[in-house]
Amino acid sequence: MPSYVLMRILESSPDRYDRGVRILTLGRLEGVYERLASRIKPGQRVLDIGCGTGALTIRAAMRGARVKAIDINPRMLEIAGKKIEEVALTHRVELCEMGVAELDTEAAESYDAVMAGLCFSELSEDELCYALREIMRILKPGGLLLIADEVVPRNPLKRVITLLIRLPLLLIAYLLTQTTTRAIKNLPEKVEGAGFIMESMRLSRMEDFVEIVARKPGG
Amino acid sequence: MLRYMLINIVGTLLRGFPLPCKTGLVRIGNPGRNSPVFLTGNYCVTVERVKRVLEKSGIDCYLLIANSRGINVWCSAAGGHFTNHDVISALKTSGIERLVDHRRVVLPQLAAAGIEAKVIGERTGWSVIWGPVYAKDIPKFVENGYKKSPKMREVEFPAVQRVEMAVMWAFPFSIIVALLAFFLWRSAVLPLFILSWLLPFLIFISFPVYSGLLARGKKKSRLSRYTVIFDFSRVPLLMEVSFLLLLVMYGLFTGNLSFDFLLRWGFVSFVMVLLVSIDLMGSTPVYKSGLHEERLLRVVLDEEKCTGCGVCVQVCPRNCYEIDGIARMPRAGKCVQCGACIVQCPFDALFFESPDGRIIPPETIRKFKLNLMGRRLVRV
Repeated sequence: MPSYVLMRILESSPDRYDRGVRILTLGRLEGVYERLASRIKPGQRVLDIGCGTGALTIRAAMRGARVKAIDINPRMLEIAGKKIEEVALTHRVELCEMGVAELDTEAAESYDAVMAGLCFSELSEDELCYALREIMRILKPGGLLLIADEVVPRNPLKRVITLLIRLPLLLIAYLLTQTTTRAIKNLPEKVEGAGFIMESMRLSRMEDFVEIVARKPGG
Repeated sequence: MLRYMLINIVGTLLRGFPLPCKTGLVRIGNPGRNSPVFLTGNYCVTVERVKRVLEKSGIDCYLLIANSRGINVWCSAAGGHFTNHDVISALKTSGIERLVDHRRVVLPQLAAAGIEAKVIGERTGWSVIWGPVYAKDIPKFVENGYKKSPKMREVEFPAVQRVEMAVMWAFPFSIIVALLAFFLWRSAVLPLFILSWLLPFLIFISFPVYSGLLARGKKKSRLSRYTVIFDFSRVPLLMEVSFLLLLVMYGLFTGNLSFDFLLRWGFVSFVMVLLVSIDLMGSTPVYKSGLHEERLLRVVLDEEKCTGCGVCVQVCPRNCYEIDGIARMPRAGKCVQCGACIVQCPFDALFFESPDGRIIPPETIRKFKLNLMGRRLVRV
């Protein structure tokens, strides 16, 4: 799904973000988020990292979880706030302008699940390692880490094909917004390397998008 | 050295575009537990220049490269692309906290338009020292015990930088013009290419000549904000005239002045003047152009709140401030409305006032920065 590149353009104007994403991903992202959110149980305490306009946050809150949603973009948070108000879930959601580097302010073993939808691909190598370490710390034993993100395909042929599709899209996105996105290399290994147990992993046919459910040992 | 030169050349030609490099921690020399920590954005050209200065001066230190989206420090900070979160992230995730015993980080002064020293301190325990504007002043700054002279705080617009700006406009312009000409008027590709290099150079190099005029001629025109583009009264008119002169000269030399030629030349000159006029949209020499009428904000001081702490003096890139009990602005005319003083003031004593008397409080500026095409003027 190289169309995620184009989400850069949408991010520059959060007001159009949701509609644009739906068109670009042909509704596929909705399915991904539904599947991930189905792991959340009522009453759980959930952290949504890089919540954006709140797609995962709202799904988790609808399932009865208490969600803390963080993002570094105040305008995205504003829109998320409005959407949460519309579905009358404000009592279950706490929005916070905060980056992954500030996760050290969260108490240890305080969350049942941590979600990250299209967030890790925006982090640098250092930030990703740090985030995984902190997530491990703040999750309760047995807690879940739910990830949906763009990855670099393992199969060399698929890597070349995705690259060819991505390049023009990257160029368009760069020309319009002067920003770019990077797919993550070896994400499953990094998650396992941080000490998580892989529960399930679902790759797209082109191997360029991954859904991961990982568990913190214990519990 | 080759790499340094290459990056500088590419960076100068493509000055208007972001050029990101890897973020993270870089060791310069042989740093120890008390070595200084410098931080800058991940604009490739900036990073190379800072590195070079530090390496040449023999300062053993750590250089943190934070994510400014590949944009230079001033533009990214003022435009909301280089924020507190990026600095916090660099300090927390790079591992620098395990390497040094102190908690002082030197940030480039121009980052003050977007990064709040107060917030960084609260969230990370690191205290921010505002470094000099230009990397070349870093060794002097360190020698002086991390104190800046007024000169180190001031942004100038010297000939070298004017040439850089001229190149920044000329390069993309000339390519656009040459491409257009290639399809429409092949024989004119070269002259037009050369012309689109000459024009920006003329504008930028002669800047000192007419800058005085611009400052004085602050007529209140009540026309729409788009008048500048089509306003042939000042600079664009001069250009149009020079185009016509060139035309006459060409005609005299070749004795070839057909109607078709006149039409083409007229069209081309119009496009060129239009292209160069885009420059007037606030990017450079003529930054206080009519396009930004609604953004000609004034910095106002609430004397009740001011304690004379002098943070504004440290961050103002135009040396507008002086402390005399409380802050004074004896050189307010030099202000470029970057907003750094307002963002940094620990007592919220400064704010913007728009020409129609609306007040823009510090919270709004901290939140929206200077980006969004004046969107911070949106009533909150």
